[in-house]
Formats: sequence, C-alpha cells, structure tokens
Amino acid sequence: MQSNKILCSVATRGRYTTTLPLVLMAIANQTASPDKLVIFDDNDNPEDMRENPIYQHIFQILDYKKIAWEWLFADKKGQHHIHQKANEMGYEWVWRVDDDAIPEANVLEQLCSYIDTTVGAIGGSILTLPHIFNTSKSTGKIKDIDSEPNIQWGNINVTKEVEHLHCSFLYRAGIHDYNLGLSRVAHREETLFTYGIYQKGYKVLTVPNAITWHLKAEGGIRSETKQEMYAHDEVIFRNIVGLSNSTIVVLNSGFGDHIVFSHVLPEISNPVVFTCYPEIVQGRSIAEAQALFGDIDQWNIYKKMAGWNWKGSLEDAYRKLYL
Amino acid sequence: MIIIAPFAKPLINGNRNPKNYPYWDKLIELTNEKIVQVGVEGEEQLVYDFRKNLSLADLRKLISECRIWIGCDSFFQHLAWDCKKPGIVLWSVSDPLIYGHPENINLLKSRDYLADNQFLWWDFTKYNPDAFMKPEEVIKYIL
Repeated sequence: MQSNKILCSVATRGRYTTTLPLVLMAIANQTASPDKLVIFDDNDNPEDMRENPIYQHIFQILDYKKIAWEWLFADKKGQHHIHQKANEMGYEWVWRVDDDAIPEANVLEQLCSYIDTTVGAIGGSILTLPHIFNTSKSTGKIKDIDSEPNIQWGNINVTKEVEHLHCSFLYRAGIHDYNLGLSRVAHREETLFTYGIYQKGYKVLTVPNAITWHLKAEGGIRSETKQEMYAHDEVIFRNIVGLSNSTIVVLNSGFGDHIVFSHVLPEISNPVVFTCYPEIVQGRSIAEAQALFGDIDQWNIYKKMAGWNWKGSLEDAYRKLYL
Repeated sequence: MIIIAPFAKPLINGNRNPKNYPYWDKLIELTNEKIVQVGVEGEEQLVYDFRKNLSLADLRKLISECRIWIGCDSFFQHLAWDCKKPGIVLWSVSDPLIYGHPENINLLKSRDYLADNQFLWWDFTKYNPDAFMKPEEVIKYIL
C-alpha cells in the first residue's frame, strides 16, 4: 500500500437486506484495508442496523481488523452529494464502492499499486453476469462514449489510460468536485467526475486483475424512475462534454477578482468564459453557465481556496483552478 | 495629487465593513497635498474633490495622473495594480499575502488581527478599529 490515507465510501439505498452486507464483507476482506469505511445511508426510512445480527457480525469483523467505520445518514439528494462529502473528508484517496458491486479481495490492493503523483483515478472491471462484453477495443475516450461498450464492462487485460470511469473506482480526493447540479438520480455523475479529473491533467487508468461483481439488486441509489431527471442530467453532461476541447471558466465573484483573473486568462488554453463583469473579462452570463452546467460551485474560487487551505495569492489560486 | 479610495463595498447585512479604515479624517489632516477621493454615490465625502461613479476609463486616467494612491482592500487596489501604479493599501482582517499585490506598500498592523477564515463573506467579521495602523504611522509612507 503506497498511501496510508484511504477512505472507502459506500452510498446505499434500498439494499439493507440484499447486496449491502455482501459489499461490506467484501470490503472487510480486502487484502489491503482502507483506513476508514463510511456507509452513507440514503434510505427514505433509515434503520439502525446495529440491531441486525448479520450487521452486528460485520461491524465486529471491521473492529477486529481495526478498520475504522462510520454509518452516516445522508441528505436524500442523490449519491453525487454523498460522494462529494467523501471527497471533502480529508483523505488522500477515496475508494468508492457501489452497494450492489462486490469487489474481489485483491481489488483495493491492486488499484493502490498504480498510485503515483501523475494518477488521478484507477478502476478495474465491473462485471455484470451474464453480460460480459469484449471491451478490448474500447478506447475509454469521452468522444467514443456513445459508440463503444464501457471499457469496465469487460475483462481488462492491459492497463490503459482512459478519460472516464464508472461505478466503483479509486480516486485522488479533492482535485475535482462532483457536479451537484445533477438531479437525484445523478445520471452520468461518475463519468463527469472522472472526466473532470482527466481534464485536470491527471491520468485516469483502467487496470487488470481488479474485478468487481455487479449484482444489480433491486433498489439502489438510482431507483427513481422519473425520466425527466435523466433527461436533465443528460443535457448537463452533453453541455460539458461538448466543451471538452475548451477550458470552462466561471467567474462568479467580485469586480476586483475579475481584474486579478484577467492576468491569468492569457495563460488558459481555449477558454470559454462566463462572467459577472464583461467590462473587465468578456464572456457569457453567469445565468447561462448555471443553465448549461447545473452547478457552478465547482468554479467558486473562494470555496476552492477554503478547501485548499490556501495561503498563496488569489492570482495563483486562479492558476491552480484553471491551468 | 493623491487619490484616496476609502471604502470597500457595503455589506449585505448593513454592518460596517471590517476592511474600512477608521482614521481617514486624521490621515487627511496630516497630508499636505491635493487629494481626490473616488467612490460611488452614497459613500461619505471626506475631501472637497469627491469624484463619484467614474467609468473604468476615467478611473484609469486618474490613476495614471496621481503621485500615489491610498485605499483599503477593495477593487480599487486591483485596478491600480492593473494600471501598474503602486500605492498604499491599509489592511486589517483580510490577508495581503492572498488578496494583495507585492508591488504595493501593504500596511498591516499585525497578522494577529487577520480573520481566521479568509474565504467567507465579511458580513460577520466584527469591526475592530484597533486592527488598523494608526495615521501617524501611515503618513510616513505617503510623504
């Protein structure tokens, strides 16, 4: 294990008595343990599982193996809000595991073996029987997302640099935010998230010998059936991916901040700017950014500086955000 | 000619902005040079020549004509920096290492007065006149 600060995050809804105990056991049985496991309970009617004998055993096993664990009740806003909380909990890496995805015992150790300073996210195979795809020719590039099976849907035989991941993966925390403008179903949330990590200049990898079995039990975090939620999220996804060759800049801040930013702007490649003060920095309106991308907090420079515990100049903070 | 830009933008909750310098009257009294105040309608007039609501172009022209400018941590310090005209910034609770420019004379009495959280709105930061450098000290940098 090359990092000693790994959080395992599980978002769960409607799977108390189906796949969730299997997932937690699989996490407890990893050959390399996370430093902490957090279960985010997003059920409409949450229960105290400490009364359940199966969970009692699982919690005892976690304690015995000295894996710190915590059961948190989530806000019922969708798993993107949950994962963003995990993203901000101060760990170097987060291993996100779906509540119906059972990792083999070596998965975390195998994903961790690829950690280095250039890597932002690492995923293995996510296999859903009986549908095992041949994904050996999949590129994992965002431009091919509509025309190829997801590379994680098949047996991965070689390490490949891709541009997005789905379902379960290990990621470097705090370098990109989940898009909180998505609806509760959070359609495409992990694709947008990992693509954002890729756009920040980090490698996103799919790696062999790290198989997670996707059991697709009833319920789940995406059990909403309202099609308009999926349509809403798809529009946001398309808007962001449609600007994949550009750097989206959203200046939702003060007059002076715009002046400072104007000194960074020439260093940004192919910027598409949304601005409050077009007389300082030309661009499109903030309202348009909100409509296109759903959530613009991921470009809030003050929120970013707070998250980074920033001590440098505002100008350099803009560089960190956009370069 | 000296430009003064005394006030940061008003706070939403109506409280006094903790970045506003409390000793302007005394500092102006100590200054033996023509002073032009810039700002917006509704701000207190501190000198005879108060130019309100100037356009950016007019502000830039005025900045180019001054010997030096004095202000608090507001947009004006950034505009003057953009015009490559060094001046004096009177700091209190915000951190000049984050929001200032090293080309200016950044007068901070003590880092002990800096707000713990530099990235929230200033509405709930208590106003503290003791956080600012006294005019008798500031004037040494103007002369």
